[in-house]
Amino acid sequence: MAAPTRPEFTELVARFGRELYVFLWRMLSNEQDAEDCLQEAFLRAYRAYPRMHGEVNFRAWLYRIAGNTARTQLKRRLRRDGREIELPDEEGAAPHRSGPADDGLEQRERLAAVRMAVRELPFKQQQSLILRKYQGLSYAEIGAALDCSPESARANVYQALRRLRSELAVARQE
Amino acid sequence: MKEETMDAEKRLADWLGDSGESTQAAGDPLLTELDALLAGSPAEAAVERALAKLRAKLGEANPVLYYGELAASPVGPISVALSEAGLVAVEFGEAGPEFLEHLQRSHRAQAVRSPERSGPVLRQLAEYFAGQRQSFNVPVDLSRSTDFQQQVLRAASRVPRGGLATYAEIARHIGKPRASRAVGQALARNPVPIVIPCHRVVAADGSLTGYSGRGGIRTKAQLLVLEGVSSYNAALT
Repeated sequence: MAAPTRPEFTELVARFGRELYVFLWRMLSNEQDAEDCLQEAFLRAYRAYPRMHGEVNFRAWLYRIAGNTARTQLKRRLRRDGREIELPDEEGAAPHRSGPADDGLEQRERLAAVRMAVRELPFKQQQSLILRKYQGLSYAEIGAALDCSPESARANVYQALRRLRSELAVARQE
Repeated sequence: MKEETMDAEKRLADWLGDSGESTQAAGDPLLTELDALLAGSPAEAAVERALAKLRAKLGEANPVLYYGELAASPVGPISVALSEAGLVAVEFGEAGPEFLEHLQRSHRAQAVRSPERSGPVLRQLAEYFAGQRQSFNVPVDLSRSTDFQQQVLRAASRVPRGGLATYAEIARHIGKPRASRAVGQALARNPVPIVIPCHRVVAADGSLTGYSGRGGIRTKAQLLVLEGVSSYNAALT
């Protein structure tokens, strides 16, 4: 049996560059940070690429690298800016901004609390949730990206939601 | 109550897309808020800008090298790689993935197979092995070699087919008569053996002390015999 042929690295950029940028933008809620992390993630991938052999799910592999890059960036930002959390850039996202001005403010505060809670999830849970719901990865792909079984990837998603529900219920009462 | 829980679980599974297509968060505040926060997409212009910058960055990090192969020669398969400026690598014995890995590791380059770009040098190599070619006529890109290495390699490239030079002669030729040993080291790092014929440079007593190409001294002797320097026949037996 012939060895599986490896795609050229440029092909990986063409195939996955866009969705990885969107992923990083969702993780970091900032265009500039997402842009920087995209470059950093692909440069890391490029350096590691010659060592990749055999059956590799390149999509999952790239998500793993991008996720780690985003995590580092968030830590860096936290050290720099403290706990300031910004909402996504105005032009994208937040389709639910309607109603009177006060509602808008309340909604923004509320979303800031949700974002904070998402960021404070254990990394695997946070990644599993975003990769499953918003990036459309299968549990097998998430498992490959996070070094766990598909079952445990699925469990992580449900744990993330349970945890968010309880964290935010407490916040709601406060 | 139990039914309600099952309903909620089903809604969650539907929302996640576990039972097919992913759905809207019907009436669940948490899911609605998560969607508000995460389901959006960046502006198209931002995506395009990020991708263009990424391509530019990778272009800087990994120049394109064009490669090709001669499947068979007296010294085994030969792979070559060329930059925009000229020939950067000639390798014996390494073919396919092994050669690509070598290129990515040593040049941090993105390798693209190009029969068109590698054709002329491969054709000249085939002619050389068939005894139909005295010298090579291809641009060589030595930009990764030091100035000293470049001087040595240029001097070595003037030794004609069938001829020999010693390390000391090359050292004298480049005006550094005491640098014979350094000349040997520079030749050992010849990135384009055969095309720059470092195999024609030997020790003062005529012995073959080393060779940069795969197969070492035996390959060196093989090339010299092929070029009609029959005194090295013995080294092959």
